[in-house]
Amino acid sequence: MKGLQIVVLGSIVPDPLQTLEPVSGPTGPALKNELMLPAVLDPWAGHALYEAANLAKKVEGKVYLVALGPKAKLQQVMMNVAQKVPFEIVVLDGPASGFADAAETAAALAGGVEKIPGLDKSKLLVFGGWQSASRGTGAVLQMVGELLGITDQFQGVDEIAMAEDGSFTVLERIEGGSYQKSSCQGAPALLGWATGNLPEPPNNPQVGMQNMRLIMPALAKATPAPLKGEGLKYAGVELPSQRRETRVVKNAPVEDIARELADWIRA
Amino acid sequence: MTDVNTSAPAGDELPEGYERQRMDVDVACVGFGPAMGGFLHTLSQGLTNEDGTPVAESKAMPGMPPQVICYERADDLGFGVSGVVTKGRGIRASFPDLDLTQIPLATEVKHEEVLYLLDPVGASRRPVLMRLADKALKIFGMARNHAFKLPYVPGFLRKEPGILLSMGQFNQWAGGQIMAQGQAQIWPGTPVAGPILSGKAVAGVRLQDQGVDKRGVPEAGFMPGMDIHSQLVVVGDGPVGAVGRKLDEQLGLPAGNHAREWAVGMKMVVDLPEGCQLKAGTVLHTLGYPEPEIFGFLYVYPGNVASLGIFVPSWFDNPVRTAYRYLQHWMQHPVLWKHLKGGRMRSWGAKSLQESGKRGEPFLAGDGFARIGEGSGTTNVLTGSGVDEAWTSGVLLGVSVLELLKADQPFTRENIEKTYVRRRQESWLEREAKIAEKARDGFQNGVVQGLIGMALTGLTEGKLFWPGASKKPHERIPSIESYFQGRISAEEIAAIRKDCTAKGLPLHGALMDRAGWPKVEHDGQLLVSHQDALLMGGKVQAPSGYRDHVTFKSHNVCAGCGEKVCIEACSGQAISANPEGGAPLFDREKCVHCGACLWNCSKPSPGGGESSNVDFQAGAGGLHSAEN
Amino acid sequence: MKVLFLAHTEEDGSLGKAAAEALGAAKGLGGELVIGLFGAEVQKAADSVAGCGAVKFYGVAGPEFATARYGSDAAAAEAIAKAAGAEIIVAPSTSRMSRVAAGVAQRLGAKIDTRLTGLEAVGGKITATRWFYRQRMVGKIERDARPWLVTTDTGCFAPCEAAGSASVEMLTVAPATRSQVVEIIAPAADAQTIRPDAKLLLVAGAGWGKSQADGQKHVDEAARLILGLLSATQASLGSSKSLVDQSGEGAALPFLTHMHQVGQTGSTPRHPKGLATCCHGEEPHVVGWRFVGERRAINLDANCGWAQGKADVLYVADAFAVMSKLVDLLK
Repeated sequence: MKGLQIVVLGSIVPDPLQTLEPVSGPTGPALKNELMLPAVLDPWAGHALYEAANLAKKVEGKVYLVALGPKAKLQQVMMNVAQKVPFEIVVLDGPASGFADAAETAAALAGGVEKIPGLDKSKLLVFGGWQSASRGTGAVLQMVGELLGITDQFQGVDEIAMAEDGSFTVLERIEGGSYQKSSCQGAPALLGWATGNLPEPPNNPQVGMQNMRLIMPALAKATPAPLKGEGLKYAGVELPSQRRETRVVKNAPVEDIARELADWIRA
Repeated sequence: MTDVNTSAPAGDELPEGYERQRMDVDVACVGFGPAMGGFLHTLSQGLTNEDGTPVAESKAMPGMPPQVICYERADDLGFGVSGVVTKGRGIRASFPDLDLTQIPLATEVKHEEVLYLLDPVGASRRPVLMRLADKALKIFGMARNHAFKLPYVPGFLRKEPGILLSMGQFNQWAGGQIMAQGQAQIWPGTPVAGPILSGKAVAGVRLQDQGVDKRGVPEAGFMPGMDIHSQLVVVGDGPVGAVGRKLDEQLGLPAGNHAREWAVGMKMVVDLPEGCQLKAGTVLHTLGYPEPEIFGFLYVYPGNVASLGIFVPSWFDNPVRTAYRYLQHWMQHPVLWKHLKGGRMRSWGAKSLQESGKRGEPFLAGDGFARIGEGSGTTNVLTGSGVDEAWTSGVLLGVSVLELLKADQPFTRENIEKTYVRRRQESWLEREAKIAEKARDGFQNGVVQGLIGMALTGLTEGKLFWPGASKKPHERIPSIESYFQGRISAEEIAAIRKDCTAKGLPLHGALMDRAGWPKVEHDGQLLVSHQDALLMGGKVQAPSGYRDHVTFKSHNVCAGCGEKVCIEACSGQAISANPEGGAPLFDREKCVHCGACLWNCSKPSPGGGESSNVDFQAGAGGLHSAEN
Repeated sequence: MKVLFLAHTEEDGSLGKAAAEALGAAKGLGGELVIGLFGAEVQKAADSVAGCGAVKFYGVAGPEFATARYGSDAAAAEAIAKAAGAEIIVAPSTSRMSRVAAGVAQRLGAKIDTRLTGLEAVGGKITATRWFYRQRMVGKIERDARPWLVTTDTGCFAPCEAAGSASVEMLTVAPATRSQVVEIIAPAADAQTIRPDAKLLLVAGAGWGKSQADGQKHVDEAARLILGLLSATQASLGSSKSLVDQSGEGAALPFLTHMHQVGQTGSTPRHPKGLATCCHGEEPHVVGWRFVGERRAINLDANCGWAQGKADVLYVADAFAVMSKLVDLLK
């Protein structure tokens, strides 16, 4: 099937290596030094984006990234991401916080998708991460799908194989390291990606140049998307206190350690 | 074992089926730091006429405005390392309405002190004069907490009125300002392999290959580094940058100049303990401890946060100079520890500083290229100031490039000299650099001579100085045996070397213990193991698919090397002893890209010249902290 | 307050462990309990919890609800929820339920929160506990809006089992879907290394793939030891990203995939016991540990952040040597 429109939903999250600490802000919980933390494209959204680009290449489709996040931070992150695969971006200038409400986020994103010029739902595949490194509800995509009227949805996807006629099969992760293989007649459909199977593409300066011509204007005309934060109340957010008294066993014979461990495992 | 450099040839030979792609732009820039910030900001502001039309047309893409691209090797624009105290003259001139509250961690300098630190543990190697001074200070009761506060801050060191900045946050902010103007693209995560040279002219830059193994050999997903051709290459990749160093190697430095003085700056950003007495805007400079040659700084940001660290210079002739352990001893000096105890490391990092200043100035311009920033010798070695100077050099180039673009003049050496180099020579930057030029010469002879020399130069505005002839860094480094002569016997050193090598450990731990330095008791917050500093404070990353950026030119030279300063001085413990002998091992996943290995090598390059046996390229990854 | 417990049945018609736990959570709220089940058949499952105090059972059953598909499952769940008209809907976060829960909430105009690790009603106020930023911080949330659909994490609530005979009102649903489940691809029994219900989680870190004291890598040996322990104990295998990535490069353990990854970009499995081997790292690398009960670690570094303050016992030893003996002992 040619001319697919693959819309990837994804935003930024704090660089996973950073130390995170919650603080209470005027509008609810936030991360300490959130402005200062380096951000990256959410890893699951990243997988979805790379899979989208890979598929688009095969079916002569087009990739859009609809991102809800603070514009300045998105701009920074895009300088890295935009070197990897070609896409157009729709920027919704709003919070990317893990404490934002999933339904409000979904409504903003669905609005962003609807705004894509020339959107043709019969050719629409919505991609995103089935998890995220921020809120991690695994709920936003489904609601966006519903808002767009898409009732063929898949979650935990690691692979899509598309046939000439636009029908496709997907592999979804289910319990116990197993996969559920499903077939779908074709677009419109929604896929929440697990890690997929593609490595992160290399940085390609030409891709970057090409993307940037559209990304900078898109950033400049970002739509403000403040979330109301209605209805979701936080009674508190805290770091788990999980410090344990660690007994350190040093200089013990290997046999003794193995025996102690065997007893513990059997107990 | 063969004596080969294991890196792949840097030539044009590519495996069959691969082609090196080419892209054309107008201005290709290398390295995003304060100098490039100044350049791109100035350029961006002037590229458009008042009516919105571009001031010039792109030659690379006719019909478009000039295409300006900047490549930065680190994964983010904010991953630079340096606590900054600056008068900020150039930065303020660029941003007349500068509102420091818009830049996280920035604040005005409120209070400055210079502290001379006595040795509270008795392990510091102090010259006789210094020991006498220490004694006198104690006898006359002038030392508190083993420190003597200088009665006043000499004018040449004073930064007040000035600004305290975090390099990372400032770069991030400046990068944001530039990109929002939409005239220049700044691409992080893209290391440049080197300049594309044609004789003495620069035609562009080549990016690093991707999809290669650690030796640089193509693997699945191989993508040869693209050639970016440009009318002008702006080199701002710092003192250890691949492009700048290659140019120095190929073109040499102007007669009489050399870039031989270095220091590694290692620092932390610390959440100060609750109730800490230090006020935001406080600046402390320290000297005298842990070794007389090591200087320290502590800057207090708003929000009970401090940036602090030490400088370990190339003229500190200790072959086991480990910045990390010295930093821990420095922090525990009573006069500092009373403020720091109970604090928590937020981030940690290290960088090499080019300390030759004006003396290290390369050819600032050539056909198709211009040099700005630290790698172009902007650092003022008397005032210890570099960021604003670097920024200013970028601004001067920015103005000059605009002038040439508007006049449709090519970027020849002559034209860049007539504009940029002339402006630089007429600026306060050059005026002050000249005053400072010989300020540190005395350190070549000893720390006391150096300090006296600096004071002389500072107080006479450059008329007097203490002379000293410089040596190449590797020529300065004595053997471990001679450095510890009279303190640790050659036999004992041999035993320590054998034991440590077998365990893959550097020697500095055992030797410093033996020299009387107390063990560092880890508190899990501020005093942590070097490895944990990488994890907690540095968050070091190494994307796969790139070659190792640290290699050893001759493995035989390494095999015969008794000091292996590269291992001792490595800021990230990324270089370690090879139990099989030969060249040390390099672990990219621990490298913070400080470049200390480059000048902390005691062996000359087999190819001759100024350089050592270590090759240091621009690599991807490194620190992931945006507040250093 | 009316509470709907909503779940799918398993292939054999029973109610799964995760569902029984979600029912426990629903019941714990007090209020009037209604049960809604969908699947190929529902009677057996309804009977297994008939005595739990529910005032009403709804069901949607039939061959078109036998497999986990968004279209049919969402339609079934929607119909049940609409019939029940509950204020609170509690469902398990199985892969099948997670696929549709949020979509169903959207159809109902309900609010949704997922993967709760705590749910309690005190003085008429319901507080839910869930984790944020990849299990790095925990928050308590409340909502006034109803209906409120929540899914509960496994291993956090006591299961409810109360067999009897249930009278189920069957609802008729005609799902529209253009998808079909083709097959379930499960690893062969002897190749099964991810076992969510295992008592023990074995975490293999990057050290297994690195050069050992003799300067050589011993990847084959590492694979033999790890598989040996899994086979002897029926433990589940988790791995660090670093080791999985090494495996991707063909250098390390052939049986490792991204599905094994625990931590930041992987899973945070729940197991009563965990044994970490050759792992090194500080926060945030240690979130893979978060929901493991008793924890022990084998590492050469006594200061290892994976272990210090995080594990109950740290054995400073060579994991190759210890595991070799351990496998022998457990065989």
